[in-house]
Amino acid sequence: MKGLVPLFLGIFGTFAFSWVGLTVIPNWQIGHLNPESDEEGTDIYPQPQSGMFERGSHLYAANGCVYCHSEQVRADYAANDIERNWGKRRSAPVDYTFERPVFLGKMRMGQDLANIGARAPAQQESPAPGGAASPAASPGPSATSPAPVTSPSTRALPGAQSPAAQGATVSSPPPSNASSPATAPGKSPATSPAQSSPAVSSSPNATPPLGQRTSVASPPPSQMANATPGGSSPVASTAQTPGAPWPIQTEGLPPMYSAAWHHVHLYSPRSINFDSNMPTYRFLYEKRRIAGERSADALQLSSADAPPAGWEVVPTYDAKCLVAYLMALNQSHSLKGVRSVGGAPPAAPSTATPAQGASPGPTAAASPAAAKK
Amino acid sequence: MNATGIPLKEPAVSAAAGDMEQVERAYIDASTRVPVLMFYTSAIAWLILGTLLAGFVSWKLHSPDLLGDISFLTWGRVRPAHMNVMIYGWASMAGMGTAIWLMARLCRTVLRFPLLLVAGAAFWNLGVLVGVCAILLGDSTGYQWLEFPRYSAIILFVAYLLIASWAVLMFRYRRGEQIYITQWYLLGAFLWFPWLYAAGQLMLFVVPVQGVLQSAVGWWYANNLLFLWFGAIALGTAYYMIPKVIGRPVYSYHLATIGFWTYALFSSWTGMQRLVDGPFPAWMITASIAYSHLGLYAFFTRVIFGSMYYIVPRLVGREWRYASLIKLHFWASVYGIGLMTLMLLAGGFLQGADMQNPAFPFSDSIETALPYLRGRSLAGLLMAAAHFIFAYHFGLMLLGLGRTSTVPTFLNPVEAEPSGGH
Repeated sequence: MKGLVPLFLGIFGTFAFSWVGLTVIPNWQIGHLNPESDEEGTDIYPQPQSGMFERGSHLYAANGCVYCHSEQVRADYAANDIERNWGKRRSAPVDYTFERPVFLGKMRMGQDLANIGARAPAQQESPAPGGAASPAASPGPSATSPAPVTSPSTRALPGAQSPAAQGATVSSPPPSNASSPATAPGKSPATSPAQSSPAVSSSPNATPPLGQRTSVASPPPSQMANATPGGSSPVASTAQTPGAPWPIQTEGLPPMYSAAWHHVHLYSPRSINFDSNMPTYRFLYEKRRIAGERSADALQLSSADAPPAGWEVVPTYDAKCLVAYLMALNQSHSLKGVRSVGGAPPAAPSTATPAQGASPGPTAAASPAAAKK
Repeated sequence: MNATGIPLKEPAVSAAAGDMEQVERAYIDASTRVPVLMFYTSAIAWLILGTLLAGFVSWKLHSPDLLGDISFLTWGRVRPAHMNVMIYGWASMAGMGTAIWLMARLCRTVLRFPLLLVAGAAFWNLGVLVGVCAILLGDSTGYQWLEFPRYSAIILFVAYLLIASWAVLMFRYRRGEQIYITQWYLLGAFLWFPWLYAAGQLMLFVVPVQGVLQSAVGWWYANNLLFLWFGAIALGTAYYMIPKVIGRPVYSYHLATIGFWTYALFSSWTGMQRLVDGPFPAWMITASIAYSHLGLYAFFTRVIFGSMYYIVPRLVGREWRYASLIKLHFWASVYGIGLMTLMLLAGGFLQGADMQNPAFPFSDSIETALPYLRGRSLAGLLMAAAHFIFAYHFGLMLLGLGRTSTVPTFLNPVEAEPSGGH
C-alpha cells in the first residue's frame, strides 16, 4: 500500500505478461506464414484474393454475417464438422494467410462457410454448353436449367421436412467435398487463374484416402468420372450432392451453392429453406423494370418473391462482391501435415442407388443418384 | 455549486465518522456532482437505447422478416450496434462515473480538473454516437466489440486519454499515505484500458497481424475488456461498497492484495478458451452469449446499479423516491438475467447436443434452439422493464423530485409516504 512504484510496475507487468504471451509470442510463432507449394514451386496455396473478394469480405463484416456463420472446420476428434461435409480436413492457420479480416466466427446460428465455395456445382460459371473449364458439362442439357434439380428431400412445404427424410439424406455417402476436383475448374471468377486449372486442383492422387474411400462407399461412376474428367458416364458431372444436410435443395431454384443460388438465398432465404431464420438482404438487390431483354443476372425467384411481370430483381455490385467472396471460400486444397479424410460417415448405409441415374440430363447439382433412396 | 446547501447523508448503518470527516466528504461529493452525473445520465440514456436495440435484435432472431428490407435495420447491423451501445455507452460510462466518484473519495481530495472529465464525457459520447451510426450504416469492422470503425475509435481514445489522465492526476494529488484496495483496481482499470484498446486497434487495423492471429487478438481484447476493464471497476467498487453498506471492514487486507495480483495475472490470460480446436477454433454455441451476458450484466451491471443507488443521493441531495421501484428494478433484473442465462444455456446446450450428431440436420439444431430464443425475448422484456423503471427513477432524482429524508429510502424499515419533499 505504500510503494507506489511496485504498484505501477505490477499493473504494467501483469498486463505486459499477458500481451506478450498471448499476442506477441504467437505472432512470432505463426504470424509470418508462407503459402505452401509443391517441389516445383507450383500449386501454390493459398493465393491472394481478388478485389471483389476483399470488398465482399467487408460486406460480410458490415452486415454481421460473422455473428451466425463460422469459417472454420474443426478437427474430427473435436467436432463432427467433417462428417457434416463442411470440409474434408480441419482448417489450418495457413488457410487464412491472405484473409483480412479473418472471420473464424463465434457461434453457429447458420452452417459453417469455410468451404462453401468448394461445395458449389462445377458448371456454375460456364452455363453455356462447351464451357472450356468444365469438360464434364457436355453430356446433359444446360447446367443452368433448374428443372432437373430434384431430390427426395425437396422441401418447398414445411410439412415435407420430416427428420427421417433428412436423416436419410445426410447419410448418403458421397461427401460433397469429394467433388472438389470437378468443382475447381468452374470456380468463381474471383479466384486466381492458377487455382482454376484442373491440374492444380486437389485431385484424388493428391489425397489417396479420399479417392479410395469414396470410390468404395459411393456409386463408383460419378466419383471415378470426377477423377477422369473425360469419362463418359451420364452422371459424370456430379459435382454437388444434396447429401449436404443443409439447406435443402428446393425445386425450381438454381443448383445449391451456385452463385445464382446464393443470390436467391440472400434475397429470400425462406424460399429455399422454409424455417431458416437468416435475415433477408433485399437491400443488396435492385428491383427494376425490364428494359428490352431480361438481364442475365436476374434472380430466378419462386412465385411468392417473384417481381410482377415486366420487372426483374438484379444484384447490385455489392451483392455480386458478397457472392464472389462466398464462392471463393474454399479450403479443399490439401495441406502438408493436415490429414484429409474422406468425410463420409463410416457406417453410411448404402441407400444410394443410381435409381435416377438414367434420368435424361442430371448435370449440375442434380446428382439425384446419390440422394435417391 | 454551493456544497453546504446540499444535505449529504451517510447511511445510518455506516461506521460513525467524525464531524470533520463528514464535512470533508460532503465537500468532496459535491465537487464530483457535475462530472459524475454527466457520466451517469449519458450512461442511462445509452442503456435505454441499447435496451430498445436489444429487444429488436431478440425479436428479429425468430421473426427474421421484420423490417428486413431496410439496410440499417438488418439483424447483422443492429446486433453489434446493441452490443457496442451497451459496452461503450452504458457500461463504460456508468463504470467510469462510479470510478470517478470513488477516486475522489478515496484520494480524499475535492475533484480537481473537472473540465478534463466534462470534455472526456462529451468526446466519449460523440465517439459512441459516431460509432453506432457507422455500424448501422454498414461500416462495422466485424471484430467482436471492436466493431467501431477507426474514426470513431480515435475519438473514443482521445476521450479516454482525458479521463485517464484525470485519474492519474487525482492520484497524484491524493491526501494521506493509505491507498485502499479499491484504488488499486481503479488505477489498474484506468491504465489497462488504453493499452488494451490501443493494442487491439493497432494489431487489427493499423498494422494487422496475419491470418488467424487476428482472431486471437480479437478474443484477447474482448476478454481483457471484460476482466481488466469492467471486472476491475466492478471489483474495486465492490471492495468499497460492500464494507460500507454492511458496516464491516474488509476481512483481511492482506488477502485482498493477493487477490488483486492473482486477478491481474490470471484473468488476463483467459479468452483463448474460445479458440479450442481449429486453426485454433472455438466453442461456438449459444453458450458463449450467455457467458458475456453473465459477465457483463449479472456481475458488472448489477454492481454498478448498486453503486448508483448509493452515490446518486449523495450527488443530488435527495433520497430515492420509491423503495418499491428499487425493489421492482432489482427483482425484474434478477429474474430477467436469470431467465435469460437459463434460456441461453439450455438452448445452447441442446443445440450443441444436436450438433454432436452429424445425421441431425443443422437447420433442425436451430429449430431446437428457437423456443429458447423466444424465451430469451421474454427475459429481455423483464430486463427492459427493469431498465425503464430505473431510468424513470433516476430521472426523478435528476429533477430534484427525490425524498428529503435523513434515512436512505431502501434502508428505511417503514416506507414513509413520499413526504412531499419537493
